[in-house]
Amino acid sequence: MRNFRLLAALCAAVSLLAAAPARADLNVVTTLPDLAAITKAVGGDHVQVQSLALSSQDPHFVDAKPNLALALNRADLLIAIGLDLEIGWLPTLQQGARNSKILVNNPGFLNASQFPRILEIPQGKVDRSLGDVHPGGNPHYLYDPRQGLAVARGITERLAQLDPKNAADYRANLAKFSDEIEKARAGWEKRLAGMKGAPVIAYHRTTAYLADWLGFQPIAFLEPKPGIPPNPSHVASVLAQGRQRKARMLLIESYYPDTTAKLVASKIPAPIVTVHGGTDFRAGETYIQHIEELVGRLEKALAGKGD
Amino acid sequence: MSTVSRRPSDALIVVSVVTLLSTASAAAQEPSPPAEATPPAAEAGTPGEAPPAELSPEELEEIQKALGSDTQEAQQNAPSGTASAPQSTPGGNTLAVPGLNTSGTNFLDLSLVLDVAAAAFTAKEPLQTGGHDPTRNGFNLQQLELSIGSVVDPYFRFDANIVFAQFGVEIEEAYGTTLALPANLQVRAGQFLTRFGRLNATHPHAWDFVDQPFAVGRVFGGEGNRGLGTEVSWLTPLPWYVELIGSATDAVGEGTARSFLGASDERVLSPLDLQLTGVVKQFFPLSDNLSLLWGLSAATGPNPTGHRNRTDVYGTDVYLRYRPITEASTTLVTFQAEGFYRRRQVPGDVLTDFNAYAQAAWRFSQRWATAVRYELGTPAKGEGGATVVDPLDPDWTEDRQRVSANVTFWPTEFSRLRLQGATDRVGWQQSPEYSVFLALELVTGAHGAHAF
Repeated sequence: MRNFRLLAALCAAVSLLAAAPARADLNVVTTLPDLAAITKAVGGDHVQVQSLALSSQDPHFVDAKPNLALALNRADLLIAIGLDLEIGWLPTLQQGARNSKILVNNPGFLNASQFPRILEIPQGKVDRSLGDVHPGGNPHYLYDPRQGLAVARGITERLAQLDPKNAADYRANLAKFSDEIEKARAGWEKRLAGMKGAPVIAYHRTTAYLADWLGFQPIAFLEPKPGIPPNPSHVASVLAQGRQRKARMLLIESYYPDTTAKLVASKIPAPIVTVHGGTDFRAGETYIQHIEELVGRLEKALAGKGD
Repeated sequence: MSTVSRRPSDALIVVSVVTLLSTASAAAQEPSPPAEATPPAAEAGTPGEAPPAELSPEELEEIQKALGSDTQEAQQNAPSGTASAPQSTPGGNTLAVPGLNTSGTNFLDLSLVLDVAAAAFTAKEPLQTGGHDPTRNGFNLQQLELSIGSVVDPYFRFDANIVFAQFGVEIEEAYGTTLALPANLQVRAGQFLTRFGRLNATHPHAWDFVDQPFAVGRVFGGEGNRGLGTEVSWLTPLPWYVELIGSATDAVGEGTARSFLGASDERVLSPLDLQLTGVVKQFFPLSDNLSLLWGLSAATGPNPTGHRNRTDVYGTDVYLRYRPITEASTTLVTFQAEGFYRRRQVPGDVLTDFNAYAQAAWRFSQRWATAVRYELGTPAKGEGGATVVDPLDPDWTEDRQRVSANVTFWPTEFSRLRLQGATDRVGWQQSPEYSVFLALELVTGAHGAHAF
């Protein structure tokens, strides 16, 4: 009996110790740092936010490290991009986390892809001969701040649902965020007016939403098919198209190898724009700052200067 | 998908589970009964019922009482035949399946993995010990594996791996996993590979080599250590990742428990006639780019050499993984090693031996990787320290060492070509043996998620 009490006391001490750091009202884990930054913007001090992936990381291929399952174990809410972007790693973590709250279809799981307007939903029969195609549509919607705002609205509602006593604060934060992003967007659109109709080459099919927002034309991709690395004949044809259509710039995410992209850009010639794959949330960057940074790079490229 | 009211049968399950569990930890568990009883918010963003504000213990007790009497009533109203499972409405428009999939209505994830290899051996009778290893000159069907995964209901997940060989079908694994146990517990039940060590619980798709290290085949059998049984695992609330796993499985099977009861067919008279396995896994994220997984394992079970004779296997495994994610890179370097120390009671003696492998793999571009592996197996020694005849492997009277190296090319993550060469220094044979494999793997169907 005494042993049992000792054990009970020990367990209590350990769980207290482990529970101590979580002072915020909601512990939110997001798959990508962009989602973390948006959640922090609308959650404020009431939420503690952590992103599973880093902004420097390719979100398609994240290692299901056990410590990430540990983060999910203690989460009240898991927010994912959806559209199968995280299919290769998130299910393992969700199952290993032993937290039924954050399993799909529970209130503690939010698939953010239900909020934006999804582009590039494949028509007809989809199979993997198309490469790494996402049957639900293109998942890279957070490059468009309008979609970012839609996602922020959805996250706010879920936070308010899970933590009703702070609902008013979440909505107030959203109003502020919405004001800021709309104001910033007017400026961004003015600065990037020259992008309208501009022919642009990209590495991966991540440009759909950016193109939809800014009105440029993605004419070719260095990857012959999504997820298939560039090969010489395809690169040659991209270069030919780039020259013929007078591509204004070449976009590549910071997590892709850039030697080929640099070569093609220099041969067209067109400036190369390295797009940061996500908000550097860990360093304290906000989603608006991340888009601002992207806009700055595009603006420079419009002026003919690369990175 | 829409929010749907619960049917009585669901309520019954919820209530019984809730009453079972909440008696233990009503306060500690977040999903308090009312929250559990409301339908989960559907994917379309329909706001579910807001979680209740703080309830007093008395109120919780009242709710439990009310639910308890509802259960009784439901039981009285239930049809007398309880054999049939609760019918789900066809069309799947009832409870949204809480699958781990994030898109579409998908009740069953199916995938097929085909492993074929062309092999050449210098040995007349190659000493391959793995059930999926190439074993003869010419073409080999290593396996055709059908993986099935699905969420059964809010409480269980189902997984099965059914392996088709040229001359038969085998249920390699078929088990249920709990999804909603409290206190960080998870239970698996059915036929499963035990979590002993690192490699044992994995399938050829996850391997860095065409064949299995001979240690696994020698100690547990060609199919790896598995059995019918149940497993409990607990994720401790420590600040770093510590998982404790315990399982009890039947101790029979020439290909799955050869150091235990093996092919003999003894009756289970007490829990000690089962194989008991205990594992501790710890994970250390040394930096963003470098991580370390360390496991300690032990298995104990009866062996057929005499009354109350037992076999114990102790193992340790390390997995060090370097993958730069703070900058653009396709580099991946892994180091993996496992050791097995086996102790068998036989009439008049205790046999001990040691088997191990260590391997390093380097992915040097997006599609290419190379790997090298060293293996060692010592002969069985008696209590006096002298080499004795091993009843399971009577030939194994000297050290056996094998070195393998390979190059792998992945056209995409769904296909793989691997060229592997090995030299086998079998101590009890005159000269070293050599082998070459060219293996192709194709994965089709649902996109699986990779474990770490």
